[in-house]
Amino acid sequence: MSDPKSGAGTFQTKAPTKEPEKKDEEHLSEEDLALKQQLELYVERIQDPDPGLQKVALESVRHEIRTSTSSMTSVPKPLKFLGPHYGTLKAFYETMPESDLKKYLADILSVLALTMSAEGERESLKYRLLGSEGDIGSWGHEYVRNLAGEIAEEFMKQQSEEAPIEDLTELVRQIVSFHMKHNAEPEAVDLLMEVDDLELLVQDVDNTNFKRTCLYLTSTARYLPGPDDMLALDIAYTLYLKFAEFANALQIALFLDKMQYVSQVFTSCDNLLRKKQFCYILARHGITFELDDEMAAEDDDREVLQDIINNIKLSESYLILARDIEVVEPKSPEDIYKAYLLDGRASAGASVDSARQNLAATFVNAFVNAGFGQDKLMTIPSDSSSGASSGNWLFKNKEHGKTSAAASLGMILLWDVDSGLAQIDKYLHSNDKHVIAGALLGVGIVNCGVKNHCDPALALLSEYIGNEDSSIQIAAIMGLGIAYAGAQNEQICSSLTPLLNNARTPLDVISFTAISLGLIYVGSCNEEVAQAIIFAVKYRSESELGEPLTRLLPLGLGLLYLGKQESVEATAEVSKTFNEKIRKYCDMTLLSCAYAGTGNVLKVQNLLGHCAQHLEKGESHQGPAVLGIAMVAMAEELGLEMSIRSLEHLLQYGEQNIRRAVPLALGLLCISNPKVNVMDTLSRLSHDTDSEVAMAAVISLGLIGAGTNNARIAGMLRNLSSYYYKDASLLFCVRVAQGLVHLGKGLLTLNPYHSDRFLLSPTALAGLVTMLHACLDMKAIVLGKYHFVLYFLVLAMQPRMLMTVDENLKPLPVQVRVGQAVDVVGQAGRPKTITSFQTHSTPILLASGDRAELATEKYIPLSPILEGHVILIENPEYREDS
Amino acid sequence: MLTVSVKWQKEVFKAVEIDTSQPPYVFKCQLYDLTGVPPERQKIMVKGGLLKDDADWSTVGVKQGQKLMMMGTADEIVKAPEKGPVFMEDLPEEEQVVSLGHSAGLFNLGNTCYMNSTVQCLHSVPELKSALTKYSHSVRSNDLDQTSHMLTVATRDLFNELDKSVKPVAPMQFWMVLRKKYPQFGQLHNGVFMQQDAEECWTQLLYTLSQSLRSPGSSENLDAVKDLFGIELASSIHCQESGEESSETESVYSLKCHISQEVNHLHEGLKHGLKSELEKASPALGRSATYLKESRINGLPRYLTIQFVRFFWKRESNQKAKILRKVDYPLELDVYDLCSDELHKQLEGPRQLLRDEEGKKLGLKANEKSRSSKDDDFKMTDAEGFIKCNWRIIWDYISRRDSR
Repeated sequence: MSDPKSGAGTFQTKAPTKEPEKKDEEHLSEEDLALKQQLELYVERIQDPDPGLQKVALESVRHEIRTSTSSMTSVPKPLKFLGPHYGTLKAFYETMPESDLKKYLADILSVLALTMSAEGERESLKYRLLGSEGDIGSWGHEYVRNLAGEIAEEFMKQQSEEAPIEDLTELVRQIVSFHMKHNAEPEAVDLLMEVDDLELLVQDVDNTNFKRTCLYLTSTARYLPGPDDMLALDIAYTLYLKFAEFANALQIALFLDKMQYVSQVFTSCDNLLRKKQFCYILARHGITFELDDEMAAEDDDREVLQDIINNIKLSESYLILARDIEVVEPKSPEDIYKAYLLDGRASAGASVDSARQNLAATFVNAFVNAGFGQDKLMTIPSDSSSGASSGNWLFKNKEHGKTSAAASLGMILLWDVDSGLAQIDKYLHSNDKHVIAGALLGVGIVNCGVKNHCDPALALLSEYIGNEDSSIQIAAIMGLGIAYAGAQNEQICSSLTPLLNNARTPLDVISFTAISLGLIYVGSCNEEVAQAIIFAVKYRSESELGEPLTRLLPLGLGLLYLGKQESVEATAEVSKTFNEKIRKYCDMTLLSCAYAGTGNVLKVQNLLGHCAQHLEKGESHQGPAVLGIAMVAMAEELGLEMSIRSLEHLLQYGEQNIRRAVPLALGLLCISNPKVNVMDTLSRLSHDTDSEVAMAAVISLGLIGAGTNNARIAGMLRNLSSYYYKDASLLFCVRVAQGLVHLGKGLLTLNPYHSDRFLLSPTALAGLVTMLHACLDMKAIVLGKYHFVLYFLVLAMQPRMLMTVDENLKPLPVQVRVGQAVDVVGQAGRPKTITSFQTHSTPILLASGDRAELATEKYIPLSPILEGHVILIENPEYREDS
Repeated sequence: MLTVSVKWQKEVFKAVEIDTSQPPYVFKCQLYDLTGVPPERQKIMVKGGLLKDDADWSTVGVKQGQKLMMMGTADEIVKAPEKGPVFMEDLPEEEQVVSLGHSAGLFNLGNTCYMNSTVQCLHSVPELKSALTKYSHSVRSNDLDQTSHMLTVATRDLFNELDKSVKPVAPMQFWMVLRKKYPQFGQLHNGVFMQQDAEECWTQLLYTLSQSLRSPGSSENLDAVKDLFGIELASSIHCQESGEESSETESVYSLKCHISQEVNHLHEGLKHGLKSELEKASPALGRSATYLKESRINGLPRYLTIQFVRFFWKRESNQKAKILRKVDYPLELDVYDLCSDELHKQLEGPRQLLRDEEGKKLGLKANEKSRSSKDDDFKMTDAEGFIKCNWRIIWDYISRRDSR
């Protein structure tokens, strides 16, 4: 990022000090000496009373300065020799009468001031304004940069002193257009931001420079305060729209979370293929969006587009990817544990079934085979051998374990609504309430991220919302939350909110209802839902507030304001009236949710402040505060690195309740991105003497390695499994983590960020945060009877693939280069965007930090960022090399 | 009359007619014909709700050409197996422990870890256990003193208790008897019992047991302890000055692993331990001379005991010091090259068999083609008994001592 002030600073090399000058004079070459004498003569002539002579002299000086060329590091000769006369000329200028000549002199003084004026005087600007206002570029680049710096200073001064604003606009305009013409877009943008007038930019942007301009705008936006960032993005959006780069415009619209902008993109573009690409971007972002007649006139087209947004074909693409990478074969939990690699005791399996270990195997099986439609435990065809049907494994789980087992079927058949519902159906008729509950949850999971026009999840699950059995109720409610996350479906809202206000609803049902409402209305700031949850919190008794599940109530409230910054303030005020026991907890949760994914440094400091206190009363609000640090700081790379370091400090000086949350925060920061330093920290913590710290660290090892098949983490977990073979709880965590590392056999990611880490999927983040909050009290929730909260992770699960498709949306294998992404913002020319790349044929997997580019000119991608589904069209200008 | 299309799993039935004058149940029966799913198992999704059997078509609001979705299968409903699995968590605590393969532990009675580890090691030798159970309480052979008898009985009782119980056992009685027999274990230091050397306890206890378990009356070969733990050594004693040579045999209960600067591995330590220098009167020279004694193993026991000699006497400070040098040991120890030529001959056959067996495991073909399998089996066990000592026991012994 270049800053106008520092840019100018490089040129504030004032005239060389006296000493070397004297020496120089002795060594002046003849040529220089002649020039020096010549200039001195001109200076004399300027002071001549004869206007004719004056004019000639001024013209000559002007000519000398303009034609002088010199390297960037030294002061041009004419300027150097004129330097000593700056004072004289200034004095003479004051005595001159108003005339064109006076303006000429002002011009020259302005240029001389570049090297001569004292710091902070801004004389260059002063004389520029008094001068003839001619072509600014004729005095050279450095002059313009210096002026820009002085303008910024002047503007600041004027603002702080509230002095009458001198009209700088005209000058700014000149400078901006000069910069824009000369490939210095960052300087132009910086200057305009200094003078708070970004709109001026639009008129100078043209076909050649809008891309660089927009790139700079979007990436600076991350570091801008307050409304400025929104403004910068707004301008970028306008520019992209102006130059018909609709896909880019759409991404900014999604970043701003402005649905009218999204609609505008659709209405502005009339190319059906491009619209299909937009739909793929919307689908990856995971938001609910209904197309109307204006956006797509033809009914058939609209249906095709809507199907893409609704992720109807996601399962199909995923399976194509799986076939291409040859991982279709189902894997059993034993294939993941790899116990044969361990020597001795741990491999000797116990002779008796352990309910906890079977439950762990259920989760591992669900995570590993997620979305593949087949596995080795649950989907065995019932006719394979009489009686040996999938029911066998189901009943190897105990009581509430059967819920998770039945629901795992939903995970295995993820996104494939048609066959998923068909397979789950039989469990709905079971006479075991836990199995029914699991089936309901499974229905929700199958529909996660997929919208069907018949709304099967809603139809099925709403039947059970009022069920008298609370475990069935919870499963139905949670299923709705997962299936309709972000949908803002009013029908669900109206059937769920009464539960919150019903005095007879059990606490666990209320908690899950709050979370589901939070998920369905994530980031919507919906008043009605907020009121309902606030009501539910207020009417909890003192003892109920102490229950572990109560922590989900404030979280549900927080999710409503996910990433919505100031909009949370009204609700935050209300939360101050809550019972003391939950007040601070609620405060932290709301704050961290509202600023999640913003990278707001002040909020991180605020949260760190809360963590620095040593509590005596056994309050629990520091856990969410620690998670909050991660939620806020995960937005961009620098803040992320800094918060990893701060978390290390918390680990050393924090109390136990903080130490328990730190591994989870690390897990969120590096989700599906196994950074070696974090891996080492977590590995160390996984042997901590406090078992809850160890459990959190183990789970987080799974989270940072989620879907990567990372061999190092897999090895660590394997060793942990033998280390903890006696401790059933920790072993359970190790197993779950092992399942996560091999999530979708390495095809899936949990990272909520996509599109070059630019966009944050709100539903994905909501799912992760919910799971992490539940993990804050591992013993009571995950190791208790609510282990199915682990399924909230499904909201964040996405294939980490690049699938190129042709105009008929059929897979089209092409060669692509995949490598480490390089930051090219503000760099000159056409820098390479990736480094150390390899060439592969699509479909391919993208690791975190990877970027892809087409290796052939034959096709043109319709999306600027090669991730997920990308439509390729043939390049009309392509010629086959002969 | 409306026509709709119905989607069921991956199939789509186009143009299904609905008679709106009939209740939806009739429609479901139509679908039964098409799909084979009984009406009561059908779930038809209409606008975010399920179609009820007795609903009124006009209020349902189905439009011409609308797509409906049906869910349901004719699959058998899953039933819980009649006999559910027994979960470990449901078992009483005692059985849980057993199913994990742990045996009962011993309480530390105040620096008695040396004794506990010794007892646990001996307890894991089944042959010793069975020998003890045969030992009768009342009958005491004449050449055995009272305390030895009591100690043997106490050992037997303690083993019994360990076998029966799943909870830690307090070896009070055993300890008392042990102190009575060997008063050095009762030494006090600042009012508490002192730390003791497990090796000493092991040696003493084995000695006592070997005395008491000797079958009275019959030939002395029936010494159970010697059978299990005794190592036959054949030594040659050589005097360099006079060139005298003599040989002797002895029986010991443990091999010593001497730890010196150059010992990094158990094997080296053992070799070291089998060589020693001694001074004795040389009849030829008529004065005392240095003799070199080299021992080799002449007979291997079923359980080989090895002592890591980690204590040595610091002359300068008159103190016991511990050698902390790290000595590696293999999980399977082969002492073949420490054996005497005589034993080599005995072992060669079984060892060859073992090697062939290993080779077979690795997919190599054995050289011998036909041998009766019975013969094979017999020799196999023989060989294993000889060479593969129960290494774990000794390992446990060491690890427990060191982790004290």
